[in-house]
Amino acid sequence: MDFHQILLLGSIVVPLLSAVFILFFFLNDSCRAKQIAYFAFGFPCAAGIFLFVNTDPYLTGYSFELLYERMGLQSLGITFHLGLNGVSSPLFAMAGIVGLSACIAAINSEAKRLPLYLALLAFMQSGLMGLFASVDIFFYYLFHEFALIPTFLMIGLWGGRDRRSIALEITIYLTLGALISLGGLVALNVLLDAPKFDFPSLTESLLTDGLKVGTQQKIFGLLLFGFGILVALFPFHTWAPRGYETAPTSVSMLHAGVLKKFGLYGLVQLALPLLPAGGITWGPYLMWLALGNILVVGAITVAQNNLKSMIGNGSVMHMGYCFLGLAVCSSLGASAAVMLMCAHGLSVSLMFLLANYINKRSGTLEMNEMGGLASQTPILACFFAAATFATIGLPGFGNFWGEFAIFLSLGEYADNRLVLGLAALGIIISAIFGLRAMARIFYGSKSDELLSFEKENKILDLNIKEIIPASLILLPLLFIGLWPKGISEGIDVNISSRYQIFDKGDGNLGLPSCCPVSVIEDSLPESSIQKSALEEEEK
Amino acid sequence: MVQVALSLLLLPLLSAGITLLFLRKYGNIAALLSVASAGGILAFSSFLIFGKDSDQIFSWSTTWFQLSDWELSFGFLVDSPAKTLLFVVSFVGLLIHIFSLGYMADDKAKARYFGGLSIFMFSMLGITLSDNLVMIFVFWELVGFSSYLLIAHYFSTDEAANASKKAFIVNRVGDFGFLLGIIITYWTYGTVNLQELSVTANLDPSLTSTMLCLLLACGFIGKSAQFPLHVWLPDAMAGPTPVSALIHAATMVAAGIFLLIRIEFLFTVEALKLIGLAGSVMGLYAGFCALTQRDIKKVLAYSTLSQLGYMAAAFGLGLPGIALFHLMTHAFFKALMFLGSGSVIHACHHEQDIFNFGGLRKKMPVTAYTFLIGVLAISGVHFLSGYFSKDAILLGAYNLDFVIFSILYLGAILTSIYMFRLYFLTFCGETRSKSSENAVESSVFMTAPLIVLAVLAVFGGFHSLYPAQIVEYLLPDISRVAEMPHHLWMNILGLFAWVGGLLFAWKIYGSDTQSKDPLELKAPSLFQLSTSKLFFDEVYLFYVNRIQDPFFRFLEVMELLFISGLMVRGSAGVAALFALLGKSFYSGKIHHYSFWFVLGTLGFLAYAILGGGIS
Repeated sequence: MDFHQILLLGSIVVPLLSAVFILFFFLNDSCRAKQIAYFAFGFPCAAGIFLFVNTDPYLTGYSFELLYERMGLQSLGITFHLGLNGVSSPLFAMAGIVGLSACIAAINSEAKRLPLYLALLAFMQSGLMGLFASVDIFFYYLFHEFALIPTFLMIGLWGGRDRRSIALEITIYLTLGALISLGGLVALNVLLDAPKFDFPSLTESLLTDGLKVGTQQKIFGLLLFGFGILVALFPFHTWAPRGYETAPTSVSMLHAGVLKKFGLYGLVQLALPLLPAGGITWGPYLMWLALGNILVVGAITVAQNNLKSMIGNGSVMHMGYCFLGLAVCSSLGASAAVMLMCAHGLSVSLMFLLANYINKRSGTLEMNEMGGLASQTPILACFFAAATFATIGLPGFGNFWGEFAIFLSLGEYADNRLVLGLAALGIIISAIFGLRAMARIFYGSKSDELLSFEKENKILDLNIKEIIPASLILLPLLFIGLWPKGISEGIDVNISSRYQIFDKGDGNLGLPSCCPVSVIEDSLPESSIQKSALEEEEK
Repeated sequence: MVQVALSLLLLPLLSAGITLLFLRKYGNIAALLSVASAGGILAFSSFLIFGKDSDQIFSWSTTWFQLSDWELSFGFLVDSPAKTLLFVVSFVGLLIHIFSLGYMADDKAKARYFGGLSIFMFSMLGITLSDNLVMIFVFWELVGFSSYLLIAHYFSTDEAANASKKAFIVNRVGDFGFLLGIIITYWTYGTVNLQELSVTANLDPSLTSTMLCLLLACGFIGKSAQFPLHVWLPDAMAGPTPVSALIHAATMVAAGIFLLIRIEFLFTVEALKLIGLAGSVMGLYAGFCALTQRDIKKVLAYSTLSQLGYMAAAFGLGLPGIALFHLMTHAFFKALMFLGSGSVIHACHHEQDIFNFGGLRKKMPVTAYTFLIGVLAISGVHFLSGYFSKDAILLGAYNLDFVIFSILYLGAILTSIYMFRLYFLTFCGETRSKSSENAVESSVFMTAPLIVLAVLAVFGGFHSLYPAQIVEYLLPDISRVAEMPHHLWMNILGLFAWVGGLLFAWKIYGSDTQSKDPLELKAPSLFQLSTSKLFFDEVYLFYVNRIQDPFFRFLEVMELLFISGLMVRGSAGVAALFALLGKSFYSGKIHHYSFWFVLGTLGFLAYAILGGGIS
């Protein structure tokens, strides 16, 4: 095992062991627990960034591969297989960064039973790092569940209003989504009958004996809706804003920022390249559902008065762009969606973090009970403006490139241009809710509620303990915005190598009009076609 | 050259960054830093304009963003129109920076202000130097952002809070079309690089379509505040006055015209015609609105709208060189007047109502006379800068399209009326309020830029005075107009326009010193129509408050009802119903169980006998 592999494994194991340590030894010693937590989250963050920098963007396969075959499950093709490629390494680094920031926010939050909270958070972090580092699909799924279960507990224990019922709703919803996608994954495993249940082996066996178009469509449907529920695809999105509104800040940050990308990651890495015909059949429908995300949820976002629920709805809205990028079924769209996933993970978690700061200073999350905060908290206003403008896709922040490239991929085929026009309306909608929030919170005169709150509490600007987690997220966001090539290269090389099937497909064989190419012939490998031709001859 | 262009672009960004990180509390240092960076910009851009090989087009690019087959470069294109704008931006920019030293001297948030100015300079220079449409779009949005930041300078007033929001959102509406235009351009021509585009467009004219031109022109409509997105500019006057001069008069709003000039080769005849017509109507409409404004800055704002309309009309007539010429002279005299109004506002302690001014000529002579030069220049008085550019537009219109000409000519008369009205009410007659009574001439930081701009407003129309590099793009169109017939006739008409406006304004506003607008008494219906601004704001407000927001709330309720309620809760309810049904079997009483057991057995037997017994 070389140094990189140790880092890769360590970024999963360190938070996990730390969580266990806290649970067993320091449940009542919050000082020691905090120290452990810094290490538990600092390590994956540093490792994530280091590994991201050291990933070779021109390698189409996995870097730093780590393989344990004898897990006892090898008869099912399941191995413990870690590695990073161009798509997963930026997401892996993003998970580390958001995790550290969420950890600092949790330590600052003065929650009751802090050690337990930190331990659960560290469990979650371990799962998050693991899911992007897994090459094996079983572990990819397992790590997701690993991160998901602490979420429910933390919402139920430390959440805000209605936390019990919402925790239950989320649990049911997300477990259902995970179950449906599990069905799809199992079907893939069984039908492809690959020697191993990991991304490269499945791709390989698909190339040798492909699935029939009908099978592809069915499995893709399962994966799409299963993952879709997890990513809050319209109309299965209602759990998300409510959940994020109630969840404690760190959980909202990690869930909305990182965990929610699980589903999209699955679609990008697995569903689209392995089941191209399914993607093309479902693409047009997915487009309209994604438009539902952008337009309907976008409109609902504008109507929100609660800051956190606005951010939650806004994040659901921007997931629509990612789905659009996937629905186009081209390597441009898919890589653009990955760009946006990275940037969105950062921007939305920054928003939740800042919402917490604002809540501390105004005693409320209702935006009409704030106003004029900028005069007392200029630094906070500055950060919030940066986060808002990042969210609404101002160039200079990462989100812009993702959104722009998704729009670009939509424009490629004349049939998609109606969808393009409608989707681009989203840039106006996001500007409306973002700037309204900015004006209602920071500009104008103070509301009566804020004035009476101020009588009892002094409103102070951000202190250094609060600035650090916020800048930790803001800096990479700016980095992606100013130098998009930094992450686009790796994503592009990886995606292009596996999405050739869409780009090279030709002829339109009566597929729905939204879809540019047909891959029905292409998806069947030549050998099987020849075989069937031979069989016919024999008859 | 690359290093020069890069440092030109990065200098203001660096200044803004340092201000943001370290100088938030040190306003004076931040101000000096920002002015120094503006000076550096002027130096670098002169080098770029006049340096060696300056007679050639300079272009350079490197890959910035690459996905699949799409490759975007970060590159510079310094050709003749870019040089003209570069000169205007860096020169006027420096003057306004210096003016700000005086105007913002007592402001508490000086650092934020000067940081914002630097970000603006960065983004504006970016638009000027960009070599492709996407890069223009990037900086396009960034100027919008810096404009937002600076309009919101006095953020604790509701006016500034709303105006900044409105400016950005309305601009976003324009950018929406622009973005679609860029994307469709890419998929039509296979490139977004300006030079490659011009080659492709010339090779295959069949690719252009009016639809695409109009989409791209949306960017111009938003940024240059043209019909129907003009509503943000008058409100944007809530920002500090030097900002209005720099961003909302001289440079940013003119960037729309610059964009059109950059992609001029894409335009079809129909699109040009439409832009020309819309521009001329804007020229007339904004002039009409300016007639009755009471706020000194709003008069100037509507005047800017009107002059931007002239530029658009010139572009629509197929005279982009003249449009750029007018952009340049307009930048001089409008910046002059805005700064003059800033000097007045500063002296009168932020009083902006022109009916509360009066008699300021004796108290602030430098401001008054330089302002007068601006007024004369914009009205088209012979041989001042505005005369050359505006009469070139009028003459071109007269020969090319009579409809546009007649609208523009009416606009020219209105221009002279509202401008002289503004001058008479502000600087002549008796003082009408306490604040103007105590006014004194502003400091040298403010008067020196005024004098420099006044000199340019007088002589800026003589294109032969400029170095060849700056006016290279203007010359072909200027000589084309110079060769057109009816020069004498146009001179007479032009004379009639400004003298007529002067006399009309003198008759109504020259001697009167009341606080009520005399026009209101003489022509009440006309006055009402002009103050209503044809109800654009009301219609938009009605749409936002009565249609958009209620509809969005309705959607929220629908979501709650149907998705959260019916779908989620409903399915949970169905499941719970089954659970309830199932639970009722578990009563815990033995005779219930035995009853169900017997019933089950009987049922099973019946099935076995009736269904399976036959075989």
